[in-house]
Amino acid sequence: MSKEKAYDPFQGIRKISTMWEHQLNGLLYMMTDNNEFVRLLSAGTDSHARYMELLRKRQELMAGVMNIPTKKDVARVAKLSLQTEEKIDILEEQIWNLQDSLGSLNKENLAMFQEIVNIVKEMKTEFQKIGLEISETHQLKEDFQELKQELATLKNLVQKGKAKDNEKVKDKDKDKELVLTAVGTMNEGGAI
Amino acid sequence: MSVKASGTNFIPYVNLEKEVKRWEQVYNVLTEPKPDIVPTERKIIWKKNKSTLYFHPAKEKKYQIPVFLVYSLLNKSYILDIGEGSSVVGGLTDRGYDVYFLDWGSPSYEDNDISLDNYILDYLENGVKRALRHSGAKEISILGYCLGGTIAAIFTSITELPIKNLILAAVPIDFSEGIVPAKWLKGLQKGTINFDRLSEVYGVIPTEIMYGMYRGLSPVSISPWVNLVTRAHDLEYVKKWRRMDKWTKDSASFSGAAFKQLFNDFYKENKLLKGELTIGGRKVDLKNIDCPFYVFSTSRDTLVLEKQSLPVIDMVSSEDKTYEVFEGGHVSLALTGHFAIFADKWLSSRSQEI
Repeated sequence: MSKEKAYDPFQGIRKISTMWEHQLNGLLYMMTDNNEFVRLLSAGTDSHARYMELLRKRQELMAGVMNIPTKKDVARVAKLSLQTEEKIDILEEQIWNLQDSLGSLNKENLAMFQEIVNIVKEMKTEFQKIGLEISETHQLKEDFQELKQELATLKNLVQKGKAKDNEKVKDKDKDKELVLTAVGTMNEGGAI
Repeated sequence: MSVKASGTNFIPYVNLEKEVKRWEQVYNVLTEPKPDIVPTERKIIWKKNKSTLYFHPAKEKKYQIPVFLVYSLLNKSYILDIGEGSSVVGGLTDRGYDVYFLDWGSPSYEDNDISLDNYILDYLENGVKRALRHSGAKEISILGYCLGGTIAAIFTSITELPIKNLILAAVPIDFSEGIVPAKWLKGLQKGTINFDRLSEVYGVIPTEIMYGMYRGLSPVSISPWVNLVTRAHDLEYVKKWRRMDKWTKDSASFSGAAFKQLFNDFYKENKLLKGELTIGGRKVDLKNIDCPFYVFSTSRDTLVLEKQSLPVIDMVSSEDKTYEVFEGGHVSLALTGHFAIFADKWLSSRSQEI
């Protein structure tokens, strides 16, 4: 097996360049880490801002004279469309709220319908029970009527029996009277 | 005799094939246009002004709680979705999370009065509302990176929306520390350096000035090019390098009102740390954060120092809180895809597995 390594000069260059980069950045870091540089930075930023302000003002002025829109005018128009977008977002959220409340209302309605269905089912079974009870009552009524009729017949029979008995008693009384009359007659005759 | 053979004879041990490939790639980088960034599969669910809320569905959904990504206002947010293999968004969707990603967009002249209050309440809070509505989830996890982490922390402390978890990565909370020279910081705190006038005259700080400011943080920067030449034979590396190069030079503009607020309320007066910041009339007290909380920094971060993030862990009132430091740099956290791995490790047990 060969122990020879492929020649790659770039690895060395890479190491050296990384080291150099690190050191140069470190040097710049140290060179700028002082109050003078901070003041320079501040002055540079401020003067740049001032220069830009002047430039923008003149730009606006010139654009006004030439009656052409500036970036600010375009931004104003863009802001209007952003406002519309925001309103649409608000509307979307309101639609969500409506959807949610409708959803919860539907759920409540569903629960209510379920309850109604249960009540109707219960009523149905109750009606069936009542129907059965009514038919039983009818049966009882019929039985009672039968019983009443039988009782009426029985009463007639009893009355008839009583009437017969009365007639018999009357007949007996008549016979008795006849006997007594006969006896009286005989006694009168004997006295003669 | 072939060219290769003669080259090999001339410089022993040189791999001619590799060298040809290397310089061909360098030539391509110099002459071809910047690459297109292919985002992870996504759907726009809301737009407001220049901002867009994207929904990236999970490849195979494993968790009930979606993730909402908040990136910094200082750069373009596509660093978190910079292409397959390096994408933080892709890493999270691969791991089974539904991801919502708010791209702030680049403000134009008409957006000069958009303050941090607007960004937090009108953009972020409304975006999270829409994400919650779209996902149908009862809660959401917020994941903030860099200044996006600061914004996410402020938002979580003042919102009434149901935040399940909060993750902050490489987040600046203490603005009395910084990577700039100490005298510059003192100048900012004393008001010697003041950007109010500049912000007002520009309305929106142009991308060129923003890029210049980043360059000012490390004025000598040849290592990216040396790295490219060193590894140009590796096609995958070149692809990643080109995407990174595009992002580095593609700075976002910054609204003047927010710029003033950033320098005055944060760098000058350090109001967030002192608990004196108010957003939309609501006082920002990080103690109001009581959800599970995870902060991580990287050991070689040259943009946000670890000591800038550290105080937040004691400021929140969450019982479930974790702080970790990982090996790596600020940007490489996003570029290597490690961000998604670290976040997932902590988040997976707190996102209601399906």
